[in-house]
Amino acid sequence: MDFANRNNTANKFVCPSDRQLALRAKLKAGWSSSKTNEPLRPEEQEAIISVIRRNEEIETAERQRVGRLVERVEKIKLHAVERGPNCCRLCGDTFGLLRPQRIICEDCRKSVCTKCSVDINIRYNNSERTREIWLCRICSETREMWKKSGAWFFKGLPNYDMPRSASATPMATPTGGGRAVQSCHGTPTRGARIKKLTIRVNDSSSSSSNASGQSEGEDELDGASSAKGNTSRETAAAVASAAAASRLQRDESFRLRAYGSIRSFIDGGERKLSNSFFFGRQQGQGPGQGQGQGQGQGHLLAGQDYDNVSMSNVSTVAQLRRESSFLRRSSVSSSWSFSDSSGSGNSATQSQQQQCPTSQHPHQQQQQHCRDPLLGWLEIAISYRESFHSLDCTMVRARDLPAMDAAGLADPYCKLNIITPEAHTKYTRWQRTKTVHKTRNPDFNETLQFVGVEPEELGNSLLYVALFDDDKYGHDFLGAAKVCLSTVHSTSQYRISVPLGVEDQYSNEAEMSQSWPNGKMLISLCYNTKRRALVVNVKQCINLLAMDNNGSSDPFVKLQLKPDAHKNKKHKTSVKWRTLNPIYNEEFYFEASPHDLNKEMLILTVWDKDLGKSNDFLGSLQLGAQSKGDRLQQWLDCIRLPDHFHEKWHCLAPDNPTH
Amino acid sequence: MAKTYDYLFKLLLIGDSGVGKTCILFRFSEDAFNTTFISTIGIDFKIRTIELDNKKIKLQIWDTAGQERFRTITTAYYRGAMGIMLVYDITQEKSFENIKNWIRNIEENAAADVEKMLLGNKCELNDKRQVSKERGEQLAIEYGIKFMETSAKASINVEEAFLTLASDIKAKTEKRMEANNPPKGGHQLKLTEIRTKDSWLSRCSLL
Repeated sequence: MDFANRNNTANKFVCPSDRQLALRAKLKAGWSSSKTNEPLRPEEQEAIISVIRRNEEIETAERQRVGRLVERVEKIKLHAVERGPNCCRLCGDTFGLLRPQRIICEDCRKSVCTKCSVDINIRYNNSERTREIWLCRICSETREMWKKSGAWFFKGLPNYDMPRSASATPMATPTGGGRAVQSCHGTPTRGARIKKLTIRVNDSSSSSSNASGQSEGEDELDGASSAKGNTSRETAAAVASAAAASRLQRDESFRLRAYGSIRSFIDGGERKLSNSFFFGRQQGQGPGQGQGQGQGQGHLLAGQDYDNVSMSNVSTVAQLRRESSFLRRSSVSSSWSFSDSSGSGNSATQSQQQQCPTSQHPHQQQQQHCRDPLLGWLEIAISYRESFHSLDCTMVRARDLPAMDAAGLADPYCKLNIITPEAHTKYTRWQRTKTVHKTRNPDFNETLQFVGVEPEELGNSLLYVALFDDDKYGHDFLGAAKVCLSTVHSTSQYRISVPLGVEDQYSNEAEMSQSWPNGKMLISLCYNTKRRALVVNVKQCINLLAMDNNGSSDPFVKLQLKPDAHKNKKHKTSVKWRTLNPIYNEEFYFEASPHDLNKEMLILTVWDKDLGKSNDFLGSLQLGAQSKGDRLQQWLDCIRLPDHFHEKWHCLAPDNPTH
Repeated sequence: MAKTYDYLFKLLLIGDSGVGKTCILFRFSEDAFNTTFISTIGIDFKIRTIELDNKKIKLQIWDTAGQERFRTITTAYYRGAMGIMLVYDITQEKSFENIKNWIRNIEENAAADVEKMLLGNKCELNDKRQVSKERGEQLAIEYGIKFMETSAKASINVEEAFLTLASDIKAKTEKRMEANNPPKGGHQLKLTEIRTKDSWLSRCSLL
């Protein structure tokens, strides 16, 4: 903040605003003292600063305490099983006559057993009658956390330090805490959140938040959810401003403005009030104050911007942070706005109002996808160059893609094609972006060019984008989107955020467009509870590599469990002579407990039997808890639903894992 | 490791200069009294941990300067306060009249549902009394807040006043959190989760 600058130019008298004068007129002596605004003496400043320092210690301790409270709840959440409506959310016990009684939690409406819930007596509004309600442990702990942290009062969790990041500086801590929260929220269900797409009419709001982000520093916006966290800084600002300003009267108005603007960040609920107060000040001050106005309005807008975000989801700092930084980082014309369904209807109407009338197309798409679970969002920029007849499609970024491995991450890439009015794909070769590894929120920033697109074609063609998860053993579908090209003009870039929908014929086509030189294998897995063993049925392989001079191979499959607690021996199938599509249907047993299976990996390798020389390697497949996508799913299904065969095709990778 | 506590309540003392805010706080936190008048510079705070219904409550009580020249600094602390003590001096009519200005100040600057309490200090000086107890009570009823006459010097009602305010805040917490409005926001589980079919990936947690 540039107090110094203000100070230099602050040497002229400015008449107090009407509002101030009116207020003063109502007050009698002892209250109104416009003339005695002496500056703070150095020793006074020191005294105040020492108090602020002392307070900071308390704040730090408090942040750590709240951090511990949050961590406690997150830990419980982390251990929740969430196996569906017929099992206790927390311990996973199924309900039944002779089993634990089912209880529906009052807050989250999920079923829990009696052991994992608490009953509390609540009072009806102002009456003495009480009613018993049940809460699951997560919700009761959450309530407790809200009570103890003061979140109930400030309508949102104050800043906190997660115990791990306790040594970090106070400024950096919201990030640390936020990140910790995010990691705890690591694998939400695909449709856990209802998201709303909002397209801004113009860039003004996002760019103004940009400006304020620069002038105020990031933490102001991020920390805004707590009033407490800001108090000390506020006062520091006030002290500084008081010291600088109280020499002359006109500075009073500045001080008011300074804390008015800071205050506009503080509380979502009351912001409107303080904003209007702040507005009143500015208007009342009249001319001569233009200097600070730009900044002030920046704050104001930023405050409102923050409002949109916080109203819809006061929740995790992480999300908030991500969102605000996302807004700031790019001055794009669209932004995400998350809102949980339990959130206020306020936010819904707000985002509806923001929806641009010209963005009918995405709106339609959004409606179309509302019924399906949302698989994430994709942001695309499309431009058409008439002179080259080329369509440039920039895959900017994708957000909230489904998780594909046990760590809750994915390795996404995009495949693109154009769908003609006859509902065929225009190009036989699909365009493909690079893979962005280990993320559910990739930034592709890659432009793919379709050449030979006629201008008249644009009107009724669709751009089809399918996202896949990159893996050695097959590419799993993540989501797909269609964008109507009729809105693309030759002059300007068309930027749009689209929700990703479910699999369809084109996504299958996209998947098939990739050839798997090493062929595929059909594997059936079953955990046999009687024999306490994993049964692996090698059914068949197709399109294997030809290794022999006669244009075929003599394939057989080796099976191995690794690391193996039960010292099972390696198995191998019989050799199928002179074929590239062998059918085995052979079963193998690997002794293992379900618990062990969570750590083990089944390695299958396909070999070409050669007599007289070493066997040739044809392909490999690994299945286990460390696999991804379909392989992980098959593995988990096999553990979760024992005594049933789970059959799936998998692609073979060209590298040999046993080497 | 700091002493653990269950709640942290931030309280604020406001009122005209010289009504005895600092003395009340001094009495409450240190159980002592100082006759010399030292004007508070800007702001100050004291900590005292009390126990209510087996819950440890840490009170951070902010003492503010009554003087106008520190108003900017002091108002910055209104917003974070969960409870505010409005203090006047029963021997000074003026300080009592100003209470309504302080109330207005609270309305402008503090959180909407802040708990307030009115204290008439220096009640040991009955012979110099200018404001009757009834007038104090009347004003408190008008604003719908609690009222007490205290004396920091004679240690009358100081402890009680703070305990009352703290227990009122605590009761409010409970009412707010145990009424039928669960916490809104991120740490609550979304209602939609029941309806959405559980993705198989969400069960990775059972590993």
